[in-house]
Parts: sequence; structure tokens; C-alpha cells
Amino acid sequence: MMMKNKAGGAGGGMSGSGEGAGPTAAAAAAALQKQKALLQRVETDITSVVDNFTQIVNVARVSDLPVKNSQEAYMMEMRASKMVQAADSILKLVSELKQTAIFSGFASLNDHVEQRIAEFDQEADKTNRLLARIGDDASASLKELEAHYYSSAQRLTPDV
Amino acid sequence: MDSDMEISLDRLPIKRLESIEENGAERFPSDVNYDDKRVSLIRRIDFAWALEEEDDLNSKKKKKKTSKEISEQWQWKGMVENLQLAHQELSVIIDLINTVEANDAVTVAGMTRPKPMPNEILSDLAVSTATKLQSYRHLGKYFKQSAKALEQKVNREARFYGALIRLQRNWKVKRQRVLASNASNEGFTFDLSDGSVYDPASGFRPSTLSTIRVEHDSAGMLAINLPQDSWYSLRFGFVGLNSIDNPNESNAHINSTTGEDLISEKESLSDDESVRETHSLLREVHKSIFAEQLFDMLNREAFSEGVGFSISGIRENFMEMNIGQGASLFVSLYPSGKNASIKKSESANMLIETEPAEGDYRVNKLGFPSRASYEIYLQQIFHEHAFGKTKDQPKSKSNRSSNQTAKDNNSGLLDHFCLSLAHRIFSARVLVQLESVVCKVPYLHLISHPTWNSRTSSWTVLMTVPPSIIPQGSSESQSPDGKRKLKTQFRTKVVVKDDCISIEAECTPNVVGLLKSTSCNLFSMNKYECDLADLPVIILQQVASQIVCWLLEEARTVGTKASRDFLSLSLEIVEGERVSLVGQVNPEDAKGCISWWLVMENGCTEERKGVSESRKSLGHLSLDVLYSVLMDLINLCGSGRNALD
Repeated sequence: MMMKNKAGGAGGGMSGSGEGAGPTAAAAAAALQKQKALLQRVETDITSVVDNFTQIVNVARVSDLPVKNSQEAYMMEMRASKMVQAADSILKLVSELKQTAIFSGFASLNDHVEQRIAEFDQEADKTNRLLARIGDDASASLKELEAHYYSSAQRLTPDV
Repeated sequence: MDSDMEISLDRLPIKRLESIEENGAERFPSDVNYDDKRVSLIRRIDFAWALEEEDDLNSKKKKKKTSKEISEQWQWKGMVENLQLAHQELSVIIDLINTVEANDAVTVAGMTRPKPMPNEILSDLAVSTATKLQSYRHLGKYFKQSAKALEQKVNREARFYGALIRLQRNWKVKRQRVLASNASNEGFTFDLSDGSVYDPASGFRPSTLSTIRVEHDSAGMLAINLPQDSWYSLRFGFVGLNSIDNPNESNAHINSTTGEDLISEKESLSDDESVRETHSLLREVHKSIFAEQLFDMLNREAFSEGVGFSISGIRENFMEMNIGQGASLFVSLYPSGKNASIKKSESANMLIETEPAEGDYRVNKLGFPSRASYEIYLQQIFHEHAFGKTKDQPKSKSNRSSNQTAKDNNSGLLDHFCLSLAHRIFSARVLVQLESVVCKVPYLHLISHPTWNSRTSSWTVLMTVPPSIIPQGSSESQSPDGKRKLKTQFRTKVVVKDDCISIEAECTPNVVGLLKSTSCNLFSMNKYECDLADLPVIILQQVASQIVCWLLEEARTVGTKASRDFLSLSLEIVEGERVSLVGQVNPEDAKGCISWWLVMENGCTEERKGVSESRKSLGHLSLDVLYSVLMDLINLCGSGRNALD
């Protein structure tokens, strides 16, 4: 049901952007397809985990036949392995989603880059102003010091 | 055999019908052979009496034991008896089975499992339950191990991707689709190249360090492994003053190599510190790429014509050039990895400058500017050249120093840089000359004018004269509003552009000024050039000329006939007799550089031939004393005229 709703919403979105450029519609379709595939994988893995766990719990009844107990033990091991495998598959899916977030989050990346650019520009302006102020202060200090020095009675002969 | 004898009668040896089945079939017993008959006869004998006697014997033996043993044996006696009975029955069954196998008198018609006892059922159930419980415990252990492993994997990934996301905010991360799964390489790379710089027209080529692979360390954290000495730093210095090879660890050696001594350190670092270290390492590599680009550009410009430099030596990652003014500089790329200091120990016998006072003293003494400041300047102008095209830098007062780029001067960056450096050295020498003159003449002041131009320097030699004591009167220098113009300061401006000295001042001691010795032209500004060797003399002559002009103006103010001839001021006492105040300049004079002479001249008439002249040295006079001397001379002129009248 969730997938259907999403498909409907995506379809509505596609129809809305159908008048846009071709690549945009194709990208949207590809994204929708990928979303479906990911959801399918999640559903499969979760179902596998739940089913296997249910079977393990169901096998908890003690059987009279020792042969059946051995069979059940082997089945339990098999289902436990399948559960772990499904969990690992989910983790890989999460990794893929993280990678997708890293490489597809253009909006946030661009915003951050622009923010950093603005910060660095401000920093550069601030540094330039600081340098200019330092230059002005140095110039004023030099002028003052020269006036004091050359007004004094004693002047040192520079080493030539 | 106390019991009664029993007699049993056998049946007649005739075949008797044993059974009739439903379908009417008759069953007769099978024929018994002699052995079977004998066995059956033996079995018909009752041996119970023998067993009873045996039991009595056993009971008698047991009565001889102590009371405790009897009580203890009594506790297990039942089980023992049961076991014995079971053993006997098993023996009978085994005999029966053996007999059946031997195909003797008994045949097995069918076997049925005996109905299990409740305790047997419970024991079987207990065994099954225990087995199943063991299986579940084993399963539980397996799940715990798997959960632990998955949790570790989650934590590792969280650390890795968290660090990657944080670094992605400052660096460009690319992903490569790798076919083979590699635990140490997820296929991520850091791209440190700048597309705006790599323009085929500009000639820049991407550095080998532009792409850096992202790997995992032993703790699962993001790591960057770079070979030692793989990145460089730019080194600039003066030949003979700065070491060519820099064994200093001035650059931070922050790297995440996989050396064993670093692994334990990295494990103890927190994620933040690890990310910070990686960021610093990437920054070092970024700076290295910048240094390589800069050196590459310098190399290319070195082979183009330039007026400011000439290449005197070149090899891999090293370039040496002469820039004039007796200076040679070098630009090199040196590895700045951790082992750089170890590798460069071979050249440790070279002069090492680690910002010592002695090195700075030598640099300052020779007039060479600070190595570090010009290293920064070189990087700055390259940065503006390479990256300034793509960015619109706001024009501000603070950018005045950066506005002097090579493009403004129609020269290459290297040329501009070398000319700037040469100018700095030359201007330092000019300053030394000016200071040597100004410090010896008390009434001169030197004022520096920062131009914020890397190839232009400017100073002013200021002389303040004493105020005039002559009251306001009719004078050519009167202003329209009636107030007398007082000239109290004389300025001599010295401007150095590259290695060209130009002087701009009033009252220049030139021939043109002599011919037109009016007040307005007397103080006209003139501009001329000179070289460094003549600068002290020129300045002193200019100052002396300004003093003479000032005295001349003062003398004319009171109506005295006065004239000026280069550095002499002549006053006419009476006709034919003149008194002159002559200035003499000597830059080597430690007492004052400008000394004055009083020269008396008797006029040359047609009757008298020859000019008699007497001179008297007045020494180094201050301006107040000079003014007083002038007033005295003016009074002398006035009294002499009156006497004639």
C-alpha cells in the first residue's frame, strides 16, 4: 500500500513535470524505479527475518522422534543463518543509502558550499581590511616615530 | 525331593487339528523331531524347588552382614533384584532368539514393542527437551556473535561515513564503481584538482596528487595513505644567505600513514581528531599541489624573455636566477613528508637558516628583504593570477598591494616578482643613503611615504626654516589678501621606481633657475633623475640650494640687492664690493655635511685688474644662525650704503 501511494505520488509528480526537460523526467523515473527496488529489497529482507524467526519459534515444540529433533536442529541453524544474512543485506542497503545521500545531496552540499564561500569571502575582506588598517597604523606610527626621531638631538649613523 | 510325584500324560501321537481358519483351511501342528521332543520334555520339569533352595542360601549369607550394610543394601536391593530379573529375562530372550535363528522349535510369529512406561516416556521427553534446549542455546550464542559482528560493522560504517560526510563539506569526494569488493577501498576518492586552473591555454597540468584514495584503517575509520615525501613545499631564498635544502620541520607533518608506530596512535585518537588530522593532511596536499603549479609556472616563464632576471641554474625542482643588484635567488620544491628531514640530512652541512637573528642581521645588512615575506608575496601574486580570473575580487583600499600584478605592468609574473625584489633591495640602499645624509644634518627630516606598490618607493626630505622676523611690507611675495606668504618648509621628494631614482623639489640648483631668478620661478618645482652614487651629493646640493633661495627671499624682502649663484648668496655692500655666503656640501663630513663660507669680494673695475677675495669658513651653521648671519650681512649692506650716501 505504501509503495502504491508512493507510486501514485511519483506519478503525479511526473505528470506535473512532464512538461519539463527530458532528462528531468528520465531522472525522476529512474529515481522512482530505484526507490521501488530499494523498498522491495527492504521488504524481502525484513520478511526473511520475520519468517525465519517465526519458524525457529515454531520448532520449539519438543518432538517425540529423535530423528525429527535432529532435522529440526539442522533447520534451526539454517534459518538462523538466513536471518543473519538478511540482516547483513539490510546493513548493506543502509550503506548504499548513505552513499546515495553523500553523492546526491546536492541541495545541501551547494548550500553549504555557498555558505562557506560567503564565510571565506567575509574572512578575506576582514583580513584585507585588517591588513589595510595595519598598514595605515604602521604608516602613521612610522611617521610619528620619524618625527620624534629626527626631532631628537641625537641621531644614530646607520651602518653603510 | 520331598514333594509328591506328578504324572503327566502325553497326547497320543496322532495328528490333531490345531486350528481352522475362517476360509476353512486346517492347520496341523508341525512334526516334532527327537531333539525337540527331548527339549520339551526337559522343560516340563519344574525346577522351581532348586531356585528356592538357592534363594534360601543367598538369604542366609546376607543375614550375616551388619545392620548398616543391611539398611544400605536394603535401599538398593530392589533395584538389584530388578536388574537381576531383567538380566535373566534378557538371557532367556537371547536364547530364544538364538534358537529362532538356528531354526529350532520356536518361530517368531510377530514382534510388538512393549508399551512404554510413563517414566520411560518422560525420560525420552526430557532427553528431547534437553537436546532442543541445547540447540536453542547454541543458536542463541550464534545470534549473539552475529549481533556483535553486525554492531561492530554498523559502528565502523557510522564512523567512516560520518567522517566522510564531514570531510565532504570541505573537499570534493568522488566515487568510483569498483567491480571487485575490497575491504580497504570503498571506491571513494578526494579530488583536489581545480578545474578553473587546469586550462589547456594556461598550460597547467593536473598534479599526481590531485586524486587521493580513501581507505580504512584497522579501526575502520577513514584513512588516507600517502607515500612519504610525496608532497612538496615551495622554498624561496637568496643564494648564499638561505639554505637551499630545508631540514626544518616547519611544516606540520600530519599524515595518516600505515606505519606501525602510527596505528596505535590513531586508535587512541577520537573521531574528531582523526577527521581533523585527515583534513590537515588534505590541506597539506592541497598546498603541495599549489606549490607544484607555482613552480611549473615559474619554469615556463623562465624560458621567456624577461628584463628582471636571468637564469643561472636549473635542475629538477630547483631554479636559480640573477635579479641584479648583486643578488641571486632560488626557488625550489622540496619534499615535506615525515622523512624529509632524514633524507635531507646529507646536505646539513649547508648554511641553515631557521629564522635566527644572525641570518636576519646578515640579510638586513645587505639590504635583502625578508625571505618569508617575499615567499608569501610570490604565492599571493600567483594565486591572483591563477584564481583571480574566475573570481571577481572587490576593489577596495585593502587590495592596493594586490593591484600591482604583472598584467598591469605588461610583464610576466616571474619578471614582475624579480623586479619587485630588485626594487626592494635597491630602495633599501637608497634609504640607507638618505638616512646617512639626514642623520648628519640636524635641520633635515626624512619622511617615508608608503606607496603600497611593490616597485615604487617614496621619501621626502623635509627642511623647516625659522620664521621670518621681517614684518609685513611691500614685497613681491605678498598675497592678494595682504598677508605675506611665509615659506617655512622645503621638501625634496625622492621617488624610486624599480631602480630609477627621481628627485622632485623646488629651488633646484640649475642653470635655468639662475637666469630667471624671480620669486615665483625661484620656488618652482623641478624634477630630475640621478643614480645611487650621486644621491647624497644631489640631496645635499638641493638642500643647500633651498637654504640659499630662502635666504635670498628674505634678503629681497627687505630690499637688499641680492643674487644667487648655484649655492652662493651674494649681497652687494657698496658698488664693487660684494659679500657672499657660499655653501659647501660634503657627504663624507660627519659633522654636518653642509658647511658655509663667507667670501668677501672687491669688485673688478676697469681701472683695477684682478679680484681680491677673502674667505672665511663659518662651519656647520644651523638655520637660525644662518638667518642671523644674513641679517647681519643685510645690516652691513645697509650701513655701507648709508655711509656712501
